[in-house]
Amino acid sequence: MTKTETKNNEYIKYRGIFLNRNSKSIFSDLNLDIFKNEKLLISGKSGTGKTTLFKLLLGFEQPDKGCVLCFGKPICKENIPQIRQQIFYLSQDIDLKNTGTSQLLDEILAANNIEQQGAYKLNDLLSFLELDSSILNQEIKELSGGERQRIGLLICFLLDRPIWLLDEPTSALDDVMKQKIADYILDQDKTIIIVSHDEVWKNDKRLTTKRMG
Amino acid sequence: MGAQDLTIFHLLSLSVFLLPVIFINRRLNLHINRTLIKSIIRMCLQLGFVGLYLEFLFKFNSPVLNIAYLLIMICIACQSILKSSRLKFRSLFFPVFFSLLIPFTIILFFFNAAVIKIDNLFEAKYLIPIGGMLLGNCLRSIIIGLSNFYCGIQKDEKVYLYSLSLFGNRSAALKPYFKESFIASITPTIASMATIGLVSLPGMMTGQILGGSIPIVAIKYQIAIMLSIFYTEYFSTILSILFSLRTGFNDLDVLNQDIFISKK
Repeated sequence: MTKTETKNNEYIKYRGIFLNRNSKSIFSDLNLDIFKNEKLLISGKSGTGKTTLFKLLLGFEQPDKGCVLCFGKPICKENIPQIRQQIFYLSQDIDLKNTGTSQLLDEILAANNIEQQGAYKLNDLLSFLELDSSILNQEIKELSGGERQRIGLLICFLLDRPIWLLDEPTSALDDVMKQKIADYILDQDKTIIIVSHDEVWKNDKRLTTKRMG
Repeated sequence: MGAQDLTIFHLLSLSVFLLPVIFINRRLNLHINRTLIKSIIRMCLQLGFVGLYLEFLFKFNSPVLNIAYLLIMICIACQSILKSSRLKFRSLFFPVFFSLLIPFTIILFFFNAAVIKIDNLFEAKYLIPIGGMLLGNCLRSIIIGLSNFYCGIQKDEKVYLYSLSLFGNRSAALKPYFKESFIASITPTIASMATIGLVSLPGMMTGQILGGSIPIVAIKYQIAIMLSIFYTEYFSTILSILFSLRTGFNDLDVLNQDIFISKK
């Protein structure tokens, strides 16, 4: 990917995006540049298209007009597998398929060819996230909201991809854990976009902020 | 020695039992009498027509006619599969057609050439009834396979998309849906092979025995046909899912909602 990094370290570009859904305009000529290692907080009311920004970048939605570029490459059939492998997305509801937690982690690590590195980091990350290792024997559907969120973050840290898209990453955590996670995330050399209403992200100088709507 | 012929009167005598059925349905307010009678009439008419054109096909025994008839059967099967799976005919006819045609042709001709070793591979007496049995059974398994696969992803779309982002490729994200729908589609035939003879005597075997075959011959045919049905189901269900992926998903691997027949 390094060869394709654009000048000025612009990792992600939204160019002239128009998007209508159910006769409602979500974006009208949206332009946004996100730079390498930038930490961007997106705030705004519900329905202003915050999550849709992530979906456009992942190719889950396509704009009516305009284009999205990642590492200088447009989101299209040829580029999308490579682009997705560079992005970690934490969805708001942590839509993990229901299976054993351990099995799910194994499958994700195997699909990303990082079984060894992942296994090596797993115990440290579990203890950092204050998760008991017995959670690995539980089914995803048995986990509480906070546990699911931390399993989502665990996968994020294990995969260690260069771009993180985090949709309400701390909504189900207690205040102490929120601060701990926010500090950890903001200290990473990654390009990170956060959608959140949590106070913990506000007024943090490590973040730039964009208000939607 | 063939089976004793049935007169229309004797056949109609079975409707004696229909009267209490209709009566009970009425008393229980089941509202199924109209559907039941319509189905019985359709069965009689359809089988009556089949009888007529099978006589015609057997009389001419022309390879071209026989093949044409099988192709028409496959087309009707495709239409029925897609309608039952709530998928659009226009979008998925060709994937389903070829997923049926390829295993069906290979297994049917293998059956005729290597198992029962008939000289004329296009002999209507074998080609049509055996082809019909294979197709009829595939119908059910492809319906279960395709509808479970696509409806499962449609119902679970957020989870599928999330898996796509985590695994980074479509095949890995689709694997659990494929596995689940494929197992559901072939399980009935596997279960029926395990219980055949214990809790059921299959129609083909019964028909052969009534037609004058000795039981051991009927049993050998039954085993051969059960295995052939299973293989055809197995491969056609896999292929139907694989061949449909191109239309079922857009260029960015997102489920194409246009393939579904909209609910009214």
